[in-house]
Amino acid sequence: METLKGIRLNVGPVHPATHGVLKVVVDIEGDTVNKAQVEMGFLHRGKEKMAEVRYFSNYYPIVDKLDYVSAINMEVLYASLVEKAAGIEIPPRAVYIRTIMAEIQRIMSHLVYIGSIGEDLGNITGMFWALRERELLMDLVEEVSGGRLAPMYMTTGGSFYDLPQHFDEKAEKALVRVETKINKDYNSMFTKNQLFLMRTKGVGVLDRYMVKKYGITGPNMRAAGIDRDLRKSEPYLAYDKVDFDVVTGEDGDANSRFMVRVGEILQSIRIVRQCLRDLPEGPYVTKTPWLMKIPDKRTFVRQETPRGEMAMYMITNGGTQPYRLKIRSPTFFALRALEEILVGVKVADIVVTIASLDPVMGEVDR
Amino acid sequence: MKEYFEKLKGVLGNKVKDFGVDGTEYSVLLVDKKLLKTAAEIIRQDFDVLFMLAVADYKPKFELNYVFSSYDKPDTIVIRTYITDRDYSIDTLTEVFDSANWEEREAYDLFGIKFNKHPDLRRILLPEDWPGHPLRKDFVVTDEVRNWTGLDLKF
Repeated sequence: METLKGIRLNVGPVHPATHGVLKVVVDIEGDTVNKAQVEMGFLHRGKEKMAEVRYFSNYYPIVDKLDYVSAINMEVLYASLVEKAAGIEIPPRAVYIRTIMAEIQRIMSHLVYIGSIGEDLGNITGMFWALRERELLMDLVEEVSGGRLAPMYMTTGGSFYDLPQHFDEKAEKALVRVETKINKDYNSMFTKNQLFLMRTKGVGVLDRYMVKKYGITGPNMRAAGIDRDLRKSEPYLAYDKVDFDVVTGEDGDANSRFMVRVGEILQSIRIVRQCLRDLPEGPYVTKTPWLMKIPDKRTFVRQETPRGEMAMYMITNGGTQPYRLKIRSPTFFALRALEEILVGVKVADIVVTIASLDPVMGEVDR
Repeated sequence: MKEYFEKLKGVLGNKVKDFGVDGTEYSVLLVDKKLLKTAAEIIRQDFDVLFMLAVADYKPKFELNYVFSSYDKPDTIVIRTYITDRDYSIDTLTEVFDSANWEEREAYDLFGIKFNKHPDLRRILLPEDWPGHPLRKDFVVTDEVRNWTGLDLKF
């Protein structure tokens, strides 16, 4: 047993600032963290095991709860996996519908991020604002799919329903509102707020070297200045037909991670607008049998979800169920960096550092 | 893509076999699990991280799929190897790829594979006193699992 100076503090697992059930054990001396240990598994529901006893088409409700803040992205990823394994082509309209819904979900996910980091800094107004804007998009998802948090909209071969009538007008209305709020109101609350800048600048620096060491992806990686986005580098869905920029930061601290996500919301709005403009007519789903068999093969798919590069590796053996489904969670890798970046951080900044990595324990623990 | 395989073949000879390209993913079979670290050191020259480690239980052997990825290019390479002997052990890659640390802990947790010389081989997702390794195909829900309360854990 090592001798401990100062005290050992449990942050979590049931703590409103850890965004779910993450537990961090920190050794504190004075007001500074000396050592941090991340413990997880409190939300482990055995989703990989569940895949082995379910038909391919019965797994969609489970992926919804994988990353419950960006459920549609999870559905798109799993649907792409099954389609790649079974060799199913999806119609062009379904490709665009998926792109639109995935980007709307990305905006919603980043708005939750903005809100929760505001809440962790004591800025409750910021949280309510972000959730208010998210509600507009939530209404769109509800209208399209019937669900809100776990919409279950995608299916193998396309989507369950077509987009409703006048969807483009309603979406445009919501997007304009989100865009103006981010460009104007959020400046006073976040991006140009001195208090916010003081609390986030230079906190929890995650530089390029650490990003490559830990295998961190997504906005956390782009905030360190690495220009990489799977939507650009290996385009899937309709991302090669739309025009958008990859947002990168410079410092890799909590503030640049925040700013990257704000920038990505604006880029996602651009993508949704272009897709709604170019939305082709035609069928929205390729009919596939409910029970299908996939031959003996291994399939690997990775996509850019709001939290980074999520991947699935499926081993099939000719049956109606996967033999093994492995899910790669991006925040699983990001949380490991927490043990390094929390060292030297003040106690009050612990929650900001955790929140700035945007962990969702549903996908970490699976 | 082919050049990575040629590089591996140059050192390891006929111990590696080619599975072919599928999209951006390139699969290689490594016949002898003892050569894994040597192969990883060669791959380290071109790739940055261990992207994921997908283990599958084919009783009585285990299949390990190491997916490597790079930050500068879209290529991925998959090294597949098998554990056939009864000790369920393989060399760790943490010295070559630091990102392997938690992936290997997860494989230990869910499959019971022992990674030799791993710096911190503990359970990660399940509680420390959990009976058995649930992703193995022969895992059955015993009374011990059913009656597990977690009250014995130190918190």
